[in-house]
Amino acid sequence: MTTLITYTFLQIIIMLLLAPLPTGIIRKIKARFQKRRGASIFQPYYDLIKLLKKPQVTISTTSSKVLVLTPYILLGSTLLAACLVPLSTKVTVNLPGDMLVLVYTLALGGFFLTLAALDTSSTFGGMGSSRENTLKSIIEPALIIALVTLAIYYGSTDLRKIMIESANSSLSIDPVHLLLLLALLMVTITETARIPIDDPSTHLELTMIHEAMILEYSGRHLGLVELAAYLKQLIYITLIANIFFPHDQLISFGGILGIVLSLSILVLKVIIISIILGLIETNTVKLRFFSIANYAALAVILSLLGFLCVYIF
Amino acid sequence: MYDYKAHLAPSATLADEILKQLTKINEQTQTKTAVIRKNGNEIYLNTTTTNLRKFNMLLNHTHRLPLTNLFCNDEIAINGHFTLYYTYSHHLQNCHFIITVPITPEEPNFPSITKITPAADKYEREIRDLFALEPLEHPNPTDLIYHGNWQNHPPHLRKSVTDLSQPPLPEAKDVPEPALITIDSPDVYQIPVGPIHAGVIEPGHFRFTVAGEPIINLQTKMHYTHKGTEKLAEQMTIQQGFFLSERISGDETFANSFAYCLAAEKIAKAEVPLRAQHTRIILAELERIISHFGDLSGIAGDTANLFLASQFNMLRIMGYNLAHYLTNTRFLRSTNKLGGVRKDFLKGKEHGAVEQLKAIRREIIDTTEIAQNDTMFLDRLEHTGVLYAHTAYDLNATGIAGRASGLDYDVRKNHPYSVYDQFKFAAHHLDCGDVSCRFNVRLSEALSSVNLMLSVIDGLKDGEISVPLPDKLPPYEYAYGITEAARGENMHWLMVGENNTIYRYKVRTPSFCNWMAVPYAVNTNLVPDFPLINKSFNLSYSGNDL
Repeated sequence: MTTLITYTFLQIIIMLLLAPLPTGIIRKIKARFQKRRGASIFQPYYDLIKLLKKPQVTISTTSSKVLVLTPYILLGSTLLAACLVPLSTKVTVNLPGDMLVLVYTLALGGFFLTLAALDTSSTFGGMGSSRENTLKSIIEPALIIALVTLAIYYGSTDLRKIMIESANSSLSIDPVHLLLLLALLMVTITETARIPIDDPSTHLELTMIHEAMILEYSGRHLGLVELAAYLKQLIYITLIANIFFPHDQLISFGGILGIVLSLSILVLKVIIISIILGLIETNTVKLRFFSIANYAALAVILSLLGFLCVYIF
Repeated sequence: MYDYKAHLAPSATLADEILKQLTKINEQTQTKTAVIRKNGNEIYLNTTTTNLRKFNMLLNHTHRLPLTNLFCNDEIAINGHFTLYYTYSHHLQNCHFIITVPITPEEPNFPSITKITPAADKYEREIRDLFALEPLEHPNPTDLIYHGNWQNHPPHLRKSVTDLSQPPLPEAKDVPEPALITIDSPDVYQIPVGPIHAGVIEPGHFRFTVAGEPIINLQTKMHYTHKGTEKLAEQMTIQQGFFLSERISGDETFANSFAYCLAAEKIAKAEVPLRAQHTRIILAELERIISHFGDLSGIAGDTANLFLASQFNMLRIMGYNLAHYLTNTRFLRSTNKLGGVRKDFLKGKEHGAVEQLKAIRREIIDTTEIAQNDTMFLDRLEHTGVLYAHTAYDLNATGIAGRASGLDYDVRKNHPYSVYDQFKFAAHHLDCGDVSCRFNVRLSEALSSVNLMLSVIDGLKDGEISVPLPDKLPPYEYAYGITEAARGENMHWLMVGENNTIYRYKVRTPSFCNWMAVPYAVNTNLVPDFPLINKSFNLSYSGNDL
């Protein structure tokens, strides 16, 4: 019991500390490709600290408690989801909950964010939540098919078991893995509101998707919402890193040293995937909104092919 | 099938033939026609309110000459009436027909021509606000400039109005709701944007009516920052007016002061020395490429093409650096001067300028290749924000907006001013009218501007850089100064008063015309594409809200 609590706390702290890092790295990569020096990769941390120190201001006179409660519900549910992601086989957080719990815990936060966006009855909130939910519903099949395929492939819906199985299997290029990796990468880009789906750095409220939903937030609450978004991004990156590129088979010893080494390798993998996301971001442009359906269709087809490959190979 | 090409083809009829036909219309009502030819290509011709619509039909409809400007002048002190000046430009014959219509103060109204010539809409409403002359049978006789908080303003451009202090603002409850279209349907909703925007831009209200994502209607409301530029000019001397003209729109400093100088120099009949003419062309083209690179960067930025955006931004800064190298000012303020240029900016700097221009040309060629091979980027631009050729013609869309929609018209080519006719440069136009066409026309135009600058520097000869203008310009003389600004045709009309003052200074920037075209280009596009379409026009608020 003590180990479980210790490990759970360890996992939460690691996830929280690591969460803003991918954004910092992606921004740095983007800046370098624009011949700019760019802000420090720790800038998102500084921004978060700044925001969390500031008070929340609610100007809207029509909003209800939903607006105030949402940042806490959102961060809470995202933290719960963060506990369900296997960080390393050396850190055993045996919370009851599988991949479906993870996906729909994240969806719970998204649901409340939609409510909050509608709550202030501003035009952009409604516009943003309508777009975000359209995107979510067309990309969800790809995510679920990919995860279910993994479950069938490894014989369990428990992400930790999948990771252990994956670590134990030989490292060969497997069509199932390759197709699902691509599908999940596409899902990650959509879910984390990055180019080519959404431009996170735009100031044009008419083109915003995710940003339009959180326009009404400021100060501490904005900080919490941003932190939740960073966490969600890290969850998806960790999933990809640990399911498709497991590393614990390389570490033969256990104990504290094993845990430290395993987590360091994880950080390295997160950095590499962030760099890849940054490269994708600089080499694509934002899709026309109605073309995103084609993108989602491609993701679904990739996961479906992966699903079929399980039975063929 | 509607043959828009035939609709667009301008008349090749000779100016004299058209004049004959116009005189005939006047004869039918026993009106004496006085034709005044002035300043090379301006033909002034009088008519009456009775004949006005016939004149408009003949010029705008039969001969397809676009209405390029319409303004009023309070000439009560001179001849006891207001005069309306309708300008129709004959692009193929290099002349402007300026139809003057007297309006007596006792009958403060005139027949509207908006139903036949949609381009007249904003001009007529402007005259209604600033002169309190009513356009009769105007389809939408609403406030253009004095709306919302501005409602208690007197007709400022009448000479009798001398009190320029701000009238008390109405109470918030007394401010009427803007007269905008509302659609009562559960499937349609409206997105109000502005007048205060998220970026550092000037105010303008956009009301989108959308069915889901596609826009079914866009209404714009501008003129939130009416500055009274034209009234301000009427208290100035010709010399002071020059500085005012530089400040009409920040990024069109040179194009505006150039137009003002042209008008004043025509009135003074001054011969500007060749070296000054050449220097002006170089600075005007420099301003053009800087503006074009800014717009190209904006278009790339709005599609989130970060690399191209920064590439064009770099080119823009290279342009600014060249401007700074030549003139010590990045925005070309106070480089121009009545009668020439202020300094011999190119003296001893020809070599450095050529080097920098060649560097810019190399970068443009490389960047063009990258842009034209980026299929994802091109997909975003193509078929987005189509401005159809006939709409562009009807609203007299000028500059890039017109040239991307098939209106092959450039002031530098069709009504050459300064010494543009002595140089060869490529003019570009495309037919499909989408964002991609506006992007490509801009890109090719920037390149040909660089080439033009290089050939001007190549042919530079030593000489004077300015001539002094006479101390007093002849009173009540008038002239047009027309230049091609980066955004399009820029028309300044100047009338001199007593003691070398300005009697009337009418400025019509390209943005004034092109703002009318934006809602038509936006229709049926998706809401997230609006910023991209708007950026491809890149219109000035300041140049519109004079």
